[in-house]
Formats: sequence, structure tokens, C-alpha cells
Amino acid sequence: MSHSFHFLDDIATADLAFDAFGDSLQELFHGATCAVIEAMADPSTVGSTWHKPVERTEEDPAELLFDWLSDLVYWKDADGVVFSTFELTVTRGDDGSWHLKGELCGESVNGSVQVLRNDVKGITKHMYHVSQEGRRWHARVVVDV
Amino acid sequence: MACAGGGGRMKLNTNMQVNRITDEVWEIPVSEKSGMLVPARIYATPTILQSMDAGVFEQVTNVACLPGIRRYALCMPDGHWGYGFPIGGVAAFDVQSGIISPGGVGYDVNCGMRLIRTDLSLDEVQPQLERLMTELFRRVPAGVGASGFMRLDRASFKDVMTNGARWCIDRGLGWHRDLDAIEERGCIAKADPSKVSDQAISRGINQLGTLGSGNHYLEVQVVSSERVFDEETAAAWGITGHDQIVVMVHCGSRGFGHQVASDYLKVFEKAMRRYGISVKDQQLACAPFASVEGQDYFAAMNCAANTAFANRQVITHQIREAFSTVFDRSAEDMGMELVYDVAHNIAKVERYPEGELVVHRKGSTRALGPGSPDLSQQYRATGQPVICGGSMETGSYLLAGTAGAVRDTFASTMHGSGRTMSRAQAKKAIRGEQVQKQMKQRGILVKAVSMSGLAEEAGFAYKDISEVVESVDRAGITKTVAELRPIGNIKG
Repeated sequence: MSHSFHFLDDIATADLAFDAFGDSLQELFHGATCAVIEAMADPSTVGSTWHKPVERTEEDPAELLFDWLSDLVYWKDADGVVFSTFELTVTRGDDGSWHLKGELCGESVNGSVQVLRNDVKGITKHMYHVSQEGRRWHARVVVDV
Repeated sequence: MACAGGGGRMKLNTNMQVNRITDEVWEIPVSEKSGMLVPARIYATPTILQSMDAGVFEQVTNVACLPGIRRYALCMPDGHWGYGFPIGGVAAFDVQSGIISPGGVGYDVNCGMRLIRTDLSLDEVQPQLERLMTELFRRVPAGVGASGFMRLDRASFKDVMTNGARWCIDRGLGWHRDLDAIEERGCIAKADPSKVSDQAISRGINQLGTLGSGNHYLEVQVVSSERVFDEETAAAWGITGHDQIVVMVHCGSRGFGHQVASDYLKVFEKAMRRYGISVKDQQLACAPFASVEGQDYFAAMNCAANTAFANRQVITHQIREAFSTVFDRSAEDMGMELVYDVAHNIAKVERYPEGELVVHRKGSTRALGPGSPDLSQQYRATGQPVICGGSMETGSYLLAGTAGAVRDTFASTMHGSGRTMSRAQAKKAIRGEQVQKQMKQRGILVKAVSMSGLAEEAGFAYKDISEVVESVDRAGITKTVAELRPIGNIKG
């Protein structure tokens, strides 16, 4: 099982774009979550004194990923935090819907100890897609900064 | 690559036919894309037109397909790719048969510019510049997750939504005459907090008085006499030259406005199916302006717009306090009056020969000409001040609205210089520390929360703002009043 992400140079002139990959839908979520967290701050400089459990259910895995990534942006502003680590599982229910159960960890913004990057304002639907080829999942995400 | 009929052949980033109307106005006819209801017009010199990315041509013609659009879909010379609409986009829709779209307003509702004049000169400020920038950096929070010095409860925040800058003035965070120098006097009617989600309130409640990050900034600038191009208009606005110090602020409604836009994009995705509207790009999600969904978004967007006016007002108060602390004089004694405050991400109902229209300006500034009844008395003779921010290395411009803009572009013009390079490319080309060092060598002191964010805003990532300004001046939709050169910059 593996995941990865990389930021894209030639897309979203004024903002940030990335591709995320995973050997499963859950791994794809891991890759995309890492990308958004890295866009906000260097997670190795962020502590873990703040915790927030998150649960979401959607019929469409693309909508589930969109909502989950949007949750990161929401908690960043609502609680004034940046993120260090996270845990998540993505499972499929008997009714075919997708369920995410996760926990975000981080701490209050403190520029004197954390390497801060972009104040991400939102996840956008521009060029947004989630696809699967064989076992490999791919997402393209443009982040408004 | 492409052709431009009538103006000789130029290499453009599109295969569409682009016809020359004048040397600064270019038109894509309705025949170039299925579904276009009106032609698309781009305002640009030939040099700027050739530098425009492919997204501009694709997106402005997508906008031309939206229901109820009138006359033209427009793009200003600082245009570049955006979400749905291009940045620099202007489009007006009939209030009865037309739509309203968050993609035509921008996520950062009422992102805008504010300019504050002073009686101080460069000679007076230069020796104190380091201390001044440190004090401003301390008083105006910027960057990721920054929260302001004000702690509001939800009821008070709802008052901000409905009263805008006036809410601040009533609490001593500014002067009553400030309101005369703000678009719509800093308070747009028809703002209804009941149309705003709890999530949006939670994101915005602690952000009043903060800059944000990205391309938002607070800049101390100098106006030299040789860079004042229209002395009479400049003098009417308190711009005297002689190395005069002014302060520019660029920011908007922060996470609050973004959440409003995101909430209603979801609403509109469903509403479009119900109203039988199809769009060329998911980010153009819209609803009829006269529909329940359209009116709800308009009411929520106005809440975000008013909050942005209040945000810039609180920042202005902090700027005045910082100057008072450093120079040990009152802000009034230093003549720290507002030159103007104007939005460049907004949708407003305005009257034109076609009737009442919902004018969307996204990365575009209102530019009312002389005599407009919508202007405060102090601007009736000159036309409205238009504040255009350049890159933090090159400088900015103060322009004046004209009758030409009212006639040709729904009273709209440019808003800044516009990017030519992505943030990722800029970061690969230079480090933030290098940018900071190079700018210091050129006499510009930069305080930044994020060094990578600073690299993303390097001057070479932007168009030449002088060429952009020349486009709108020659096209007659604004006239150039003065150039403003940076000496100190605060970035998130």
C-alpha cells in the first residue's frame, strides 16, 4: 500500500494544484490530505496538542474527498490551527456509500516555531476529478490560496 | 496558436478568431464557440494580448454563453485564468432573465484595495521605516490562521455583516468622513445574515482586521512629483507628490467570503438542474438572479462584502495607530485620510441603458466617471479613484474612472498587474530569503510571515503593470493619475 502527491507547475497560475495517487481509495485520501497539510505549513514543525475527530459519508468518493479536504480548511480557520498528523479510514457500506472516519491532529498557529506556508482559502472544483485505473487511484485538486 | 483579424497576425494562446476593434480592444465573435450569446471583448495592448494565457480566451467565451448576459463578456488587460470566470472578467446580466454566479464574483468576496494618504514625506519616514514596518507587522496580523485583536460574539459579527464599515466607525475604529471615501459608503444594502451558514460564521468571526496571505499585502509607498501624471485630480484626492508617503491595503473577506462562495456553489449545482441551466465549466455554477437561490446568494454575498469593508476599516485603524506610535503624532495631525476604498470581486445591481443589470466584477474595479450620482460629492468632479496594485517589487497605480468606462465596460476597469507565472514555478525560480534581500538592496523593506509565500509573489511572476495601465488609459476606460512606489511591504 502506498500513496504520493506532487504539486503541479503549470496549472492554476494564481493558486496551487496537485496530483495525488494511492493504491486504494484510502491511500489516495492519505496522499491528498498530506498535500493540503503541506500546503499550509511544514508538518514536521507542528505539534499535536489539538485533535478533531471527523466522520463523513457520501455516495460519491470524489465528493467525500472534496468534503474531507474542505474540513481541513474549515478547522484551520475556525480553530486557528495547522496540522501535523492525521489518521483516516475509508470504507464502503452495504448501501454502496463511502464512509470516512478520521482524526486531525495539530496545534494553534504559532509562526515563531512553525514553518507556515499558504493560508489555504478553499478546495475548488476547477479541474477536480478522482479516477481509478486498475488498482491505482488518482485525484487532481486545485487549492485556492 | 492564432490569428487576429484586422490587426495583422499575432501569436496568441488561442485558436479562436480574435478581431481588432481598436489597438486596445479585441473581439471574439459569437461564431467562435457554440452557445455564445454575445461577443467577448478583451481590453489589452497587442503586447499584453499576446501574453495572455489560453484560459482567458476559453473562459471569457464560456461566460458569453451564460443566460441573460448583455452586450459583451469582457476581460481587462490584467486578465488571467481563474475559477469559471477569468480574473479580470466583467459580465452584466439582466435582473429578470439573467443569472448570478459565485464564479463571477470570486471566492474572496469584496477583495479590494484601500489607499490612505499622509502629510509625511520620505525624508521623515525613512529613518523610522524599520520601526514602522515592525509596528505595522505587529498590529495587522497576516498569514495562515491569523486572528485579529477583536473578539466578537455571533450577534456582533452579524451586525458587521449588515453594517460593514459603519459598524467600525460607530465603535471608534475610524472617522465618520472615512465612509464618504468607500464604495457604497462601506455598507451594501440587502445583506441578510440568515442566508449565511454557521460554518462561514465560524471561519470568519476571528478574522476581522487580518490581511490573509497569497497576494494580499499592506504596503507603505511613496509618490514622487515626477510620477504624478494628473496633478489636478491627484490634488483633489490629497495626493501632492513631493515624495509623499501613502499606505495601500489589499485584502478581502478572508475565509468567511470563501465559505459563502463554497456553500452556494453547492446550492447552485443542484439548482441548475432544476432550472435547466447548463454551463461550460462546473465553476460557472449559477442560478437565475430572480430565483430564491439567486437572491439568497446575493444576500449572503453582500454580508461577505460588508465584512470585507469592515476588515479594511479595522486594518486602517491599526495603521493609523501604528503611525501615531512611531511618529508620536495623531493620525489626524499627519493627514491620514482615506483616498478611496474599492472592491474588485463583487456583483452589484446597477442601472445602464439596457435597464437594471447584475454586474459581476471579478478582478475588476468599478470606475465611475465624473458626475456620477453614485459618487460622494468629493469625487463628482474627478471621477472615482481606482486603486491598482502591482507586484510588491514594481509599484502600483492610482487611476480615475471615466465616462468611457460607463459607456463601454459597465463602468469597469483593471485591478492589478496579473500573474504570468504560477506560484509553484516562482518558488522554483527563487527563495523567499533571496527576494527579501534583493528588495532590501532596492530600498524596499519586507516583513513576511511565510518565506515560501514571499517567493511566490516575486515581481517576475507578474505582468508589467505599466503596460496594463497603458492599455486601459489608451482605451479610455480610466485615466492615469499617479504611480506609487513601494518602500515597505507586509505579506502573509
